[in-house]
Amino acid sequence: MTSHDLLAILPELALVLGGGVLVLAEVFAPSLRRAFGPLAALIALGAMLLRWTVLVDGTAFAEALRLDELGRFVDTYVLVAVVLAALVAVPYLRRTKHEFGEFYGLLLWAAAGAMVMAKTDHFLVVFVGLELLSIGLYVLNAFHRTSGISLEAGWKYLVVGAFAAAILLFGIALTYGATGTFSLAEVAARIANGEGLSGSLLLAGLALILAGFAFKLAVVPFHAWAPDVYQGSPTPVTAFLSVVPKGAVLVVLMRVSAAFVPAALTPRWLPLLAAVAVASMVLGNLVAIAQRDLKRMLAYSGIAHMGYALVGLVAFGRDGLAGILVYFAAYTLMNIAAFAVVAAFSESEDEPHLLTDLAGQGWKRPVLSLALSIAMFSLAGIPPTVGFTAKFLVFRAAVNEGWVWLAVVGVLASLVSVFYYVRVVFYLYMKPLPKREPAYSEPWSIRLVAAGCAAAVVALGVLPAWLLELAEAAAATLVR
Amino acid sequence: MLHDTLLSTLILTPGAVGLVVLLLLPRQADSAARWLGLLASLATLALAALAWSRFDPANPGFQLVEQRPWLPQVGISYSLGMDGIALVLVLLTALLQPLVFISSWISISQHVKGFIASMLLLETGVLGAFLATDLFLFYVFWELMLIPMYFIIGVWGGERRIYAAVKFVLFTLAGSLLMLVGILYLAYLHHAQFGVWSFAYGDMLRLNIPMGAGFWGSPQLLLFAAFALAFAIKVPVWPLHTWLPDAHVEAPTGGSIILAGILLKLGTFGLMRYNRPLFPEAWEAATPLFMVLAVVAIIYGALVAWAQKDIKKLVAYSSVSHMGFIILGLFAGTVASTQGALIQMINHGLSTGALFMLVGVIYDRRHTRLIEDFGGLAKVMPLYTFAFLLATLSSIGLPGLNGFVGEFLILTGAFAEHPLAVALAATGIVLGAIYMLSLVQRVFWNALVHEENRNLTDLTWREALAFAPLALFMVWIGVQPGTFLRLSEAAVRHLIGG
Repeated sequence: MTSHDLLAILPELALVLGGGVLVLAEVFAPSLRRAFGPLAALIALGAMLLRWTVLVDGTAFAEALRLDELGRFVDTYVLVAVVLAALVAVPYLRRTKHEFGEFYGLLLWAAAGAMVMAKTDHFLVVFVGLELLSIGLYVLNAFHRTSGISLEAGWKYLVVGAFAAAILLFGIALTYGATGTFSLAEVAARIANGEGLSGSLLLAGLALILAGFAFKLAVVPFHAWAPDVYQGSPTPVTAFLSVVPKGAVLVVLMRVSAAFVPAALTPRWLPLLAAVAVASMVLGNLVAIAQRDLKRMLAYSGIAHMGYALVGLVAFGRDGLAGILVYFAAYTLMNIAAFAVVAAFSESEDEPHLLTDLAGQGWKRPVLSLALSIAMFSLAGIPPTVGFTAKFLVFRAAVNEGWVWLAVVGVLASLVSVFYYVRVVFYLYMKPLPKREPAYSEPWSIRLVAAGCAAAVVALGVLPAWLLELAEAAAATLVR
Repeated sequence: MLHDTLLSTLILTPGAVGLVVLLLLPRQADSAARWLGLLASLATLALAALAWSRFDPANPGFQLVEQRPWLPQVGISYSLGMDGIALVLVLLTALLQPLVFISSWISISQHVKGFIASMLLLETGVLGAFLATDLFLFYVFWELMLIPMYFIIGVWGGERRIYAAVKFVLFTLAGSLLMLVGILYLAYLHHAQFGVWSFAYGDMLRLNIPMGAGFWGSPQLLLFAAFALAFAIKVPVWPLHTWLPDAHVEAPTGGSIILAGILLKLGTFGLMRYNRPLFPEAWEAATPLFMVLAVVAIIYGALVAWAQKDIKKLVAYSSVSHMGFIILGLFAGTVASTQGALIQMINHGLSTGALFMLVGVIYDRRHTRLIEDFGGLAKVMPLYTFAFLLATLSSIGLPGLNGFVGEFLILTGAFAEHPLAVALAATGIVLGAIYMLSLVQRVFWNALVHEENRNLTDLTWREALAFAPLALFMVWIGVQPGTFLRLSEAAVRHLIGG
């Protein structure tokens, strides 16, 4: 380990150490609890600052970590999600009397896992990062330990996650058997040298890797856990869970595709991805219509959104990958805005977060309602929001690569989705307030997160050039 | 300096004020919101008049052009331009908006801020869609109209407003999302043929879009269909019209005026601006189909309007019939018929806008719109009767008023090539006269049987003020159509010729 290596993982170190400090502070200075949440957000912001100032180029840890624009993009996105989730968590934990340092520690550690995973070229490091991320999340899901559904969520995520990890590991083993290496860079080099890497062993290995990741992405047919886990987990955790693991996994998939797909695998790989994308978009959106619980609805909406992101992966190329990256950024902002407001619009965590709870709130609580509406319109892909820009870029890539039918399926699926997203707005503004007015609290940190995300959603929708530039630079590290 | 950014200023003024109203005004500042809205819309009208004064009617191309890179990596630019076709529609929009605010000054009393902001944002969307010369920008403005209209129908509408609002959104989006794929495909073709990414309207005109064989094998026909579906839903062309009666009837008066007066025009404008010049062969191939649909719409709309018991529904269905004339004029494709279609778009905006406004007037007083609840109003409300009669006569095309000019130009322009369609459409005019005059008969002349109608107040000065500009233009276009036809003639000749 050299100083170069340490500099390269400075942000991750900051997160891991910061998380440790928070956990210890819980034991030795519990009176400082009120500061834990803001402190966690500050640590994440500091890590982001480090990532953008201490620029280490090339690789580190014997080429296991790649420090490129792609990694920086994903790190930024993960850390933004951490900051937002921590801010949403502050009032939530206080209200449920679960304000413990471990929560923030686990959050930071999980983020470090996601960041490592998204930056590596080495299959085993991917696995380690994924486990660090997942194990943190298993605990966080069940953090509300007096609530049955929270425990259920943690248990379900654990069982499914372990299952997925096993499948992934098996896939990695088979791939190693077929190629003799864990390194994606090496695979790519060999393919570039004209060594054909095909054969049923590799194919089976890649299929299993895809399946393992599909669990984490919650795409059809590996999606069944998502609604229960989303619903049961503490809402700030759901917000984190709905964006960070998915983003990290998609980046790994991008790296895997970039290494393997130009070879003979393309004709099998692409139809498979396209099928998963179509099934996710269609099923996710259709089933979301039937949901009455907002968190479950957002779970199915997330399934559909990963389908849209996979459309970008099918199209591939610099446009497709840049589209996916913009999609991440958009999805983070709009999804966390939505969950932040959902967290505010509930009286008790033991009750479901019903759509009807929103009735009439639009005129009563204008800031949160407007933010939620903007998030919904953005999720539905209506301009001028960044959700539209993201969909536009992904579908554009698909059309340009000859996948016109996939784009048509995508837009039709998003037409279906408009129905349930707009229904949220309908409850907010067009339903009367119930007779017994619910006593929702509107903590400052939630208002900040919701209004900030909503403003960013619109600002990036109107002026997306800067975001797209970053995303294209990141995508260019994988494809020219 | 304003010259370089005149169109941007025109487009963004209402939206910017709308955001101020929405985000910055205190919650109970209803009156301030109303005044701000009115002032913003008047400022927009002044800017539109300024654009008119700087417009050169002899030039068929885009004027007051603005262009800035927006998403340069993808070839998207923020580019605006105004030709004669856009100009007249912009003028109509800018004229109707302040009248909407005046006419709904009192009738909108709930969530006033939201209403004003929605209307102003809607106006920005409409003006932007008329003036955009980049397909992506056009699409953004096109969709921008959706959310404010959803709120206008859904929050301030009638009993079945939710159903109507959701139906409106889903119908509109169903068409426009496919158009989005079409736009993406056009950009792809441009890159394939010229090696450059672009969404610019001018660049798209240079494309060579293959006709291919059959429908599914023909890129041009498919693209035509993708665009035409979006626009035909908006017009609406029969049989895609079913959202219209719901939306119109449930929308508040101001919403109906904008919907009928302006939003429907975006459909016919889109066909004119995009479908005809971009896909000329497909346009040719689709002409018989659209002729049939237009004639069906004219007659079906008229017959259904005739059967209505609700005044607002009657006016709504009459829109289906009138928009049929416009489609007929567009697809007949001569200069006269196209000019007629364009002026008829204005006329329909004026007369139907006026009718919806006047229906709102008695609805505010009686909270009913059923024809049978009225009768004999002529004695009680003479001024109102005069206004309604004027709007009716304009709507059915009495010579000397605006409606006549449009219908006459459409039918004479189309007759040489499509005599049968013209003959059938002419029956629509007769039917129009029948249902409108019988409406007037039943509402204003018959015996005054309902006691509660005996004490209705006549038009107030505020209502008269909202109506007067419409009446002025009805007569002006009727007597002196040249003033307006001249504005768009060069652009229309250019459109037909190339």
